[in-house]
Amino acid sequence: MLTAIKPKKRVVAAYLAIPTILFIFSVFVPLITAFVNSFFEWKSGPNKTFNGLTNYITLLHDSTFWLSFKHNLFLVAVCIVGQIGIAFVLVLMINSKLVKLKGIHRTFGFFPSTIAAVSIGFIWKMIYDYNRGLLNWFLDKIGRADLQQVWLNNENLVMLLVAIPLVWQWIGYYMVILLSAISSIDTEILEVSELDGANAVQRAIYIVLPLIKNTLLVCITLCIAGNMKAFDNIYVMTSGGPGKASMVMAMYGYDVSFNQGNLGYGSTISIGIFVMSLLVIGGSKWLIGRLTKSKDA
Amino acid sequence: MKRKVLSALLAVAMTATLLVGCGNSDAGSTNQSTSTGSSKTDYKGTLSVMHFSTSEESQGNGGSDGFRTMISNWKSAHPDVTLEENVLANTDYKTQISTLAAANDLPDVFLLQGMNTIAWAEQGLILDMTNYIKESPYYDQYNTAYFTPFTTADGKIYGLPVLTGGTCTVIMYDKRVWGDSFPSTWADVEAKTAAIIADGKTPIAFGNNGQWQANSCFLSTLADRYTGPDWYLSMINKGGAAFTDSEFVAALAETQRLFTQTDIFNKDFNAISNEDAREYYISGDATAFIGGNWDVSYVGATLKDAGDDLYNNTGFAVLPQSADAKHQRNSQNIGLGYAVAINPKVADDPAKLQAALDFAYYVTGPDFSAFVAENYALGGLTEAPEVDWSKFDAWDVDFYNFSYVDTEACEIYDSYLSGAVWGVMNQDLQAMMNGTMSPEDVAAAAQEAYAENY
Repeated sequence: MLTAIKPKKRVVAAYLAIPTILFIFSVFVPLITAFVNSFFEWKSGPNKTFNGLTNYITLLHDSTFWLSFKHNLFLVAVCIVGQIGIAFVLVLMINSKLVKLKGIHRTFGFFPSTIAAVSIGFIWKMIYDYNRGLLNWFLDKIGRADLQQVWLNNENLVMLLVAIPLVWQWIGYYMVILLSAISSIDTEILEVSELDGANAVQRAIYIVLPLIKNTLLVCITLCIAGNMKAFDNIYVMTSGGPGKASMVMAMYGYDVSFNQGNLGYGSTISIGIFVMSLLVIGGSKWLIGRLTKSKDA
Repeated sequence: MKRKVLSALLAVAMTATLLVGCGNSDAGSTNQSTSTGSSKTDYKGTLSVMHFSTSEESQGNGGSDGFRTMISNWKSAHPDVTLEENVLANTDYKTQISTLAAANDLPDVFLLQGMNTIAWAEQGLILDMTNYIKESPYYDQYNTAYFTPFTTADGKIYGLPVLTGGTCTVIMYDKRVWGDSFPSTWADVEAKTAAIIADGKTPIAFGNNGQWQANSCFLSTLADRYTGPDWYLSMINKGGAAFTDSEFVAALAETQRLFTQTDIFNKDFNAISNEDAREYYISGDATAFIGGNWDVSYVGATLKDAGDDLYNNTGFAVLPQSADAKHQRNSQNIGLGYAVAINPKVADDPAKLQAALDFAYYVTGPDFSAFVAENYALGGLTEAPEVDWSKFDAWDVDFYNFSYVDTEACEIYDSYLSGAVWGVMNQDLQAMMNGTMSPEDVAAAAQEAYAENY
């Protein structure tokens, strides 16, 4: 009987081949094509001329690309603190005995991450609107009309302002991941530490954090990867503006490829994004590894 | 059993998701195939056409409405030709057509934007139509000035200009506030702003969050007042002019001054689109608005539908003159920004080429001009027929006079040069209008992009 429901190896292989082929086609093929194209001068037409490393040399000296990279790093920093940090605090609050209707909190917390980033962009664009926006209305109501401004036109604040929707959107996502990690912690450990006199903050730092370290690492990696490719909500809210004040790498690659019709250099930027993302993710893993090791020792 | 039902459901859901995913890549486009009417060409088969006159766009917009009507007429007259239309909104169209161009996979017939002419002609993506245009049955009626953006330095023409000749820079103003005629100098405008602001209103609404608006709907005309038309011709012909020339930099400096040092414009001009800005005018929050002919048709249709009194009190004016500008003070940038172009691959099949040419002649021909003149008081590529003014109200007459009679024409900047130049400049203009980039730096960066890409 058991052998009857066990499919043949060939069948299993055939089924597994479908996602594998899809994955190769949608991830590796574009990556390799972009890599090949990045060595060509390819402007608004089918004619390509091989130009060796010229595009890469241009990229190294392209101040806009490095400015965009800095903006991506800023996003990563804000989102690690904002998304994972706040999610961690919220999870601890939800897990507390005092909180009622935990299911509702979880559902509503998770809800924003199910909305398309473009819609989120539009929602927050309306919140920041100068004449009809919620933020300026609120400032007016609390008697601080002097603080009203054209939020998305403030070059010093605009990166933070486009990061806030990202934080808001993804808190729930990390909440769910962290909740599952925390629920796997043996409650006895927490009870014992409570008996020993550890308060909530001490329990969070000395008991919970070390025990969910690996999950946190996964969250941080996801967060970095997600923010290195940030595009949608920024495209909707500012298109990288004013000027280049909210330009991120993916937005710049899109701009060069499609608005400026320079697909060869656009491909170089894509490879640049890929390499820089790998470096940042690798670097952060190494850093976290070092930090936790020295603590353990 | 339950498990089986569940897995069947899941399988269906997965397939549906995949299908929905596939469908999404075409979202926003309409593919229609029709074949009705009687034939004039020998060709039997399909002809793929890509354009951006969506049905939404054609509401109240003469050019789009006329173009769609011509396509539908042509389809009825050519039952043997299956016209495969791919219609996208303008922004999506620009992205998709440049992607198709890069892949050498352009449709048989499409709309070519002036600034792409030189690059695409060099790459062999567009058919040289010089002789075909001379063979056109309507050649005598063409307004040949409209061909300039689609002509290369060697005199070859690559398209038949299409849609309506519309202005890209017009001030729509409330006569009840500004009087019958709009101030002719910026100084006069500035003199009036304090009173308007005290009244709780914005003097002039403008939207530049798409970054192209400051170029197409402001600078292109304002700078012409500083440089004169020869300067831009020299830019087009690589005759030695440069963005760093002092006249052009002075125009940039004036733009910066108007947006950073006066209260003429709404504070959020860099954060809102022209669509948002024109709503400020419609709602009465702003007493004037700067935009293009597409905004005029929208504002007109909206005010008329609402029975708003502003409809009867709106005037049209050119940009006021700056104190240090020396050239013509009555100019506005007008032209046909797009042309019907044909994929050179079509020429492999002479019958198909004949059908494509017939299509191009027809949609840009006298029938189109008659339609837009009769219904919208607008002009196209061929000489405008007499307009029966009894059918139109003051709004249409005023705008017609503004567009074609009372003003002088200057070039639309981004109908020429290259997207790479404008991409760089438009971005910098936005920063400059915030006061965070100097006019000299904007000019230098634009010149660098010009030298590199044109």
